[in-house]
Amino acid sequence: MKTIDTDILIVGSGITAALMAARLSETTTRRITVVEAGRQTTVFAERAKTRDRFIAYGEDPWRRDHLDDQNASGITHGYSPNMHVGGLAMHWGGVTPRYSPEDFTTHAMYGIGTDWPFTYDDLDPFYQEAEERMGVAGEQGPPALDPRGKPYPLPPLPVNYNLSQLQEWATGAGIATWSTPSAKNSIARDGRAQCQRCDTCYPVCPTGAKYSPDFTWNALVAAKKVTLIPETLVRRLVAEPGTGRIVRATGNRTDASGEEVTITAKTFVLAGGFVWSPHLLLLSRDTAYPDGLANRSGLVGKYLAGHRNVGGQITLPMELYPGVNSQHSLVSKQYQRASYRGRYLRHDLRIWESDAGRGPRVRGDDGRPLFGDALLSDWRARAKGGTARVRAYYDVLPDRESKLVLDPARKNRFGDPMPHLTFKDAPESAALREWQEGQLRDLFEQMAKAGKGTLRLQNSTNDIGQEHPTGGCRMGDDPANSVVDGWGRAHDHENLWVAGAPAQVSAGCCNGTLTFVAVGLRTAAAVAKAGG
Amino acid sequence: MIDDRNRPVPEPAGLPPSRRGFLKVAGAVAASAAAASVGCAPPAENDARQSAFGASIQRTVGFDRPLLNMLGDAVLPEALGSAGRLAAVTSFVAWVDGYDPVAEEMHGYGYADVRYLPADPAPGWRSQLDALDTLARKMGQKPFVELDVAARRDVVSAALASTRETVMPEPLGASHIAIALLAHWTASPAAKDLAMGAHVGVLTCRPLAGTTTRPLPIVGVAT
Repeated sequence: MKTIDTDILIVGSGITAALMAARLSETTTRRITVVEAGRQTTVFAERAKTRDRFIAYGEDPWRRDHLDDQNASGITHGYSPNMHVGGLAMHWGGVTPRYSPEDFTTHAMYGIGTDWPFTYDDLDPFYQEAEERMGVAGEQGPPALDPRGKPYPLPPLPVNYNLSQLQEWATGAGIATWSTPSAKNSIARDGRAQCQRCDTCYPVCPTGAKYSPDFTWNALVAAKKVTLIPETLVRRLVAEPGTGRIVRATGNRTDASGEEVTITAKTFVLAGGFVWSPHLLLLSRDTAYPDGLANRSGLVGKYLAGHRNVGGQITLPMELYPGVNSQHSLVSKQYQRASYRGRYLRHDLRIWESDAGRGPRVRGDDGRPLFGDALLSDWRARAKGGTARVRAYYDVLPDRESKLVLDPARKNRFGDPMPHLTFKDAPESAALREWQEGQLRDLFEQMAKAGKGTLRLQNSTNDIGQEHPTGGCRMGDDPANSVVDGWGRAHDHENLWVAGAPAQVSAGCCNGTLTFVAVGLRTAAAVAKAGG
Repeated sequence: MIDDRNRPVPEPAGLPPSRRGFLKVAGAVAASAAAASVGCAPPAENDARQSAFGASIQRTVGFDRPLLNMLGDAVLPEALGSAGRLAAVTSFVAWVDGYDPVAEEMHGYGYADVRYLPADPAPGWRSQLDALDTLARKMGQKPFVELDVAARRDVVSAALASTRETVMPEPLGASHIAIALLAHWTASPAAKDLAMGAHVGVLTCRPLAGTTTRPLPIVGVAT
């Protein structure tokens, strides 16, 4: 059996863990150990090659990126089977909007949902820190819509030719837009290249311009500031009867040896995301804690949150050239700031260039195959004009029974039940859903009309479930209705912390990763202050 | 005699020719067939592809190139010129040869199961290529390669009568080799630029500078 002793144990190695470890390494002298169940995936030097094969064939550019028997069921959009050093942010799109101030106070402002135990202003310095650690390129939006304490660390990615045409249209439709903030180097920084707009940010950036957690891990490990141990699955946390202090983590190597591992530490930080952090707490049930650790409230695994989107394609009388920088977009926070039309609806708005419906055809209108120059001529005619892709994430309030449970029918090689997830809207969101989605379609219709265009194609919001999921260990001031306090510390265990997404009360209505990290950095600040 | 004479790389010595002279070699050899790409990028270098169980995958690679060249000549745009059409066929062959059947797909957001790419489409495409020649002989009493462009297109049209695609599919999903060849070419950055009549460089890493100006037109291409 392998035994490890450390001061701070971080379970999980995703983006929240990486940037928390970076902060802790600067603010404490304590030994930091990070354990990751998966392996190291494709190293930077191999990414240009794996990108080529992704483009050519659709192959997974991330090698050795999952464990066959360590997976969840009943998942939603925003989940992936990936389990490896760096987590899902190895293949994220790098989009980094902040939540809006209202996301933290929906109950106080609108009488709906649950307020967070801190405000946007409280989180602002940690947002800033997250942006600086990743290197976020962003454009300051209108301050009333896009408040922030300090400027973005990097200049924005350019509003390219296509987006400038679309921005003019959006402005004419009465919508303020700006360059979407992104963790992509608009200028060379931190030894990483300037963005080369390769158009494969998601799933793989071949140049290193997009931030991914491996850059942080490589630097921390090289400087011997942390010990990173891959292929080590923590399966149980053990609490000391009486005090409730966590005294050790136990588990196994996930390599062929399957060797047992015991880790003793003074401080335990769960940074395994919205699935694996609550899962570990539920797995850690024993006679003293029959419902799992940190679960006095019965809310571990509960209040899983996310948001849905309504999207469309709008054909417009303008000439666009899709592919100039196709993953970059315009963003608006105009609709995040308040309910409108008398009922609760808050959403973001993103606008991209699009080539939807403008590709080549096999057959012409007469049904006969197209060959040679006739095919090319037909394609050229279809390629002319412009299409905007529009999408709005709207706020979905979570129900208590939006939950993760242990599924005894699905077990890993060690016999641990795997997680099963069920997402459920709170009654107020369920009642508003049809009206909300209708309003968003109306908005897109109005946008199309303003540009003398046509709205085409609308996804069903049932297609992909809820996105950018959070929750499962929600934070709050009252131990009766929350799992951790406002700093991420478990109410029931003084040396146990839950970091990032799982601690969140809600999922806002925009991409979530920056907020997961900011919340995690706030927890890291508290961990350092708490000592141990 | 090895029929696949336009292969872009030297063929391994000592391999026995099969019925139509195709090469049957290890997948790792196939992947080394690096070619100048005007289509989807072929493997950048030898990728020692292994199955999930660690064994090399044996694949038959290559096509009857004279036949495939004449197919490409018939279906690809005249605007490419004969050299351009031949290059597109060469790139297609390298792409097919470099395919790793049933490799893991990219695990995107939204599903938990690990998904795999399709089985090797090449055997079916080879059979369809053979069938074009058979059909040509039935329809015109001549081998496919001896037909003029119009007659070859008639043969291909007849062969496509039972296919259903209306919009161009992903190359791997093409139901017929003629569509696969077209789909591979239309997926290329150069083809997209030609369709837009401008130097956009889709999926090509290029500097951020200049993104705010309208892409330069391709001289001589009317859009």
